[in-house]
Amino acid sequence: MAILNVEHIRKSFGPTEVLKDISFSLEKGQVVSIIGSSGSGKTTLLRCINLLERPTSGKVMVNTDVIFDSEDPATQREQDLRKKRLHFGFVFQSFNLFPQYTAKGNVMLARQLLAKEQPDYKTRKKEILAEIEQQAEQLLVQIGLADRMDNYPHQLSGGQQQRVAIARALALQPDILCFDEPTSALDPELTGEVLKVMKELAEQKTTMIIVTHEMAFARDVANHVIFMDNGTICEQGTPDQVFNHPQQERTKQFLSRYTQG
Amino acid sequence: MKKLIALIMAMAMVLSLAACGSNSSAPAASKDEAASSAAAAEGSASAQAPADSDSDLAYIQEKGVLTVGITDFEPMDYKDENGEWIGFDADMAKLFAESLGVSVEFVEIDWDNKILELDGKSIDCVWNGMTLTDEVLSAMECTEAYLNNAQVAVVNADVADQYQDMDSLADLTFAVESGSAGQAQAVENGLNYTEVQNQAAALMEVAAGTSDAAIIDSLMAAAMVGEGTSYENLTYTVGLNSEEYGVGFRKGSDLAEALDDFFDTCKEDGTLEQIANTYKVQAALVK
Amino acid sequence: MQTIMEQMPIVLNSLNAGFLQTLKLFFVTLLGAIPLGLIIAFGSMSRFKPLSLLTKFIVWIIRGTPLMIQMLIIYYFPGLVFNNPIWGGGETGRFLAASVSFIINYACYFSEIYRGGIQGVPKGQEEAGLVLGMTRSQIFFKVTLLQMIKRIVPPMSNEIITLVKDTALARIISLQEVIWAGQAFMKGSQGISGAIWPMFFTAFYYLIFNGILTVLLGRLEKKLDYFR
Repeated sequence: MAILNVEHIRKSFGPTEVLKDISFSLEKGQVVSIIGSSGSGKTTLLRCINLLERPTSGKVMVNTDVIFDSEDPATQREQDLRKKRLHFGFVFQSFNLFPQYTAKGNVMLARQLLAKEQPDYKTRKKEILAEIEQQAEQLLVQIGLADRMDNYPHQLSGGQQQRVAIARALALQPDILCFDEPTSALDPELTGEVLKVMKELAEQKTTMIIVTHEMAFARDVANHVIFMDNGTICEQGTPDQVFNHPQQERTKQFLSRYTQG
Repeated sequence: MKKLIALIMAMAMVLSLAACGSNSSAPAASKDEAASSAAAAEGSASAQAPADSDSDLAYIQEKGVLTVGITDFEPMDYKDENGEWIGFDADMAKLFAESLGVSVEFVEIDWDNKILELDGKSIDCVWNGMTLTDEVLSAMECTEAYLNNAQVAVVNADVADQYQDMDSLADLTFAVESGSAGQAQAVENGLNYTEVQNQAAALMEVAAGTSDAAIIDSLMAAAMVGEGTSYENLTYTVGLNSEEYGVGFRKGSDLAEALDDFFDTCKEDGTLEQIANTYKVQAALVK
Repeated sequence: MQTIMEQMPIVLNSLNAGFLQTLKLFFVTLLGAIPLGLIIAFGSMSRFKPLSLLTKFIVWIIRGTPLMIQMLIIYYFPGLVFNNPIWGGGETGRFLAASVSFIINYACYFSEIYRGGIQGVPKGQEEAGLVLGMTRSQIFFKVTLLQMIKRIVPPMSNEIITLVKDTALARIISLQEVIWAGQAFMKGSQGISGAIWPMFFTAFYYLIFNGILTVLLGRLEKKLDYFR
């Protein structure tokens, strides 16, 4: 049973069609890497899946829930979006940590706000908040930032900030973790620490969609690779199929540029 | 709601100004603005004259207060130690208001805006040792003259004996209040002058040596220069003309006549003389 | 003639009364313009084109014309043209008219600062809030607001200091603020005339008040220094 089903997604910005009929599915515990040159629609696809952008047409399902269907207005209600987005964790290229909160504060904030909606929040407030704090600390230890919990984002390196952003996304225990070029904004010497954390997550069978330019990483970590070109899925398959035996001319061209460089 | 109305009207006005293309730099524009609004108001006031010529007295009585526009001008309108407005004009204004059965409110205004204030009904009269010039007479409904005045030249006391006649004034530089009767005299006599904000500023110019002489009201000169005043080293010499003080109301107002009657009553029962004595202007009273 | 020591209590008394008007106008303007500015800022950023165009047009006019003219119009226009002096002639009316003029004028300036502050917060902050399941209001209050405040404090400080000095413009409609009070002794008032020294005191009042404001605003700025 697929955890995520993406069916016939199209997205246009004005007259430009950025996504042209994209379909794929993802099993629980799998890692999908989406590769392709800039402007091929990778990021837009990711943003359509977690509804930061509204697809022009198509259908997105998580488990058996239809979270978006262009044919069914009942699935498009603005007020339901918030809950639906919680299926996904999202890690941005530019981190987007909240600058006025510490590393721990960033990880805790969303859960603290959600906790207020719990019916027993008033009576168990102390307990709940302690639990949230404990979880945040655990996550930060897990990503190797035990000693930077009380630092503000501007006091952290880019790699550390991105790791905090991953912890922040994990705090809500999403079904699927999405990464939008998580290392592209980092100095080369800092990408390693972020990739290491992601690799560990993959080993723990975290379901992930990773848009990336790190070909070696995609090959080593992903179960499934999607190569996008000009708004379509040009080729997909196991890393071995796509990287070692590409069928399409475009894929070969793209990969040769990367292996040379 | 009021604020909203004011805003909308302000917008409309700004737009019409922009349309006329009469928008110039800030300080100049504000003055032009005052003048042109005053002129516009004059037009509208005369157009409405039949409607409210009968009603000004009634308007005051209905509102219950006579708002008197003044400046700080000893001995006509000035503050005592308690901050209460007193002076020959202030005391008479209090009595006049009492006779109408209304209370009196003194408001210090910018003298340049007196016609604007009057037509805009933010004040009901100008009662502040106002010289009855042609301009004043044409823009306001004025009472008969109640006090005599003259424009005099003020110079440093140590050189005063050199400047005792008109001819000797020709080579001096003068400071005059902008738009005042003093300025009119300077123009008429072909004198070399600088405009300043008010009569006191003109005196300051002389005291500070930035001008040789000033032309101001004799009543003011009597109160402000010479022995025992702030300007002990100044004195006044030549009188350039003689003129008269009156009280100004909105054009067409019936209050001017009412005040004339009131002045007559006070003259007969000696009140006027008595108050004039208090402020040492009895010699200048119009007989 | 009185000595300066004898004149001092009279002068200080007047200056105090004048400065009270200055302070009143200052605080009333802030109290009104800070929230009104936010409304105008939202208006000019509205996706509803006619509203944003109209708001921008009004802001353009208010910022493009001298406050002095606006005050003259707001105070004298109703009485002169509609024969309805809504403000009345007394001190209260003049104060109200001055307040309304100042609030509108400063709200327009503030709105532009707010707009810069709001638009200066990166879009990614809002998106990060959205993907974490926050509501719009949670995002505004918990994420963007403080960042916006941090951005607007320095330019607002400049405007606020300017406002202290701008209150003197209210003299044009004869609001008796502190400079009017000081100048009265140059013109001649309460037996003192041709005196320039009260003006130094007047300047001193401004200096002290601006000094206090500068320290307070500097502290606020420093308080927000813990993040970037």
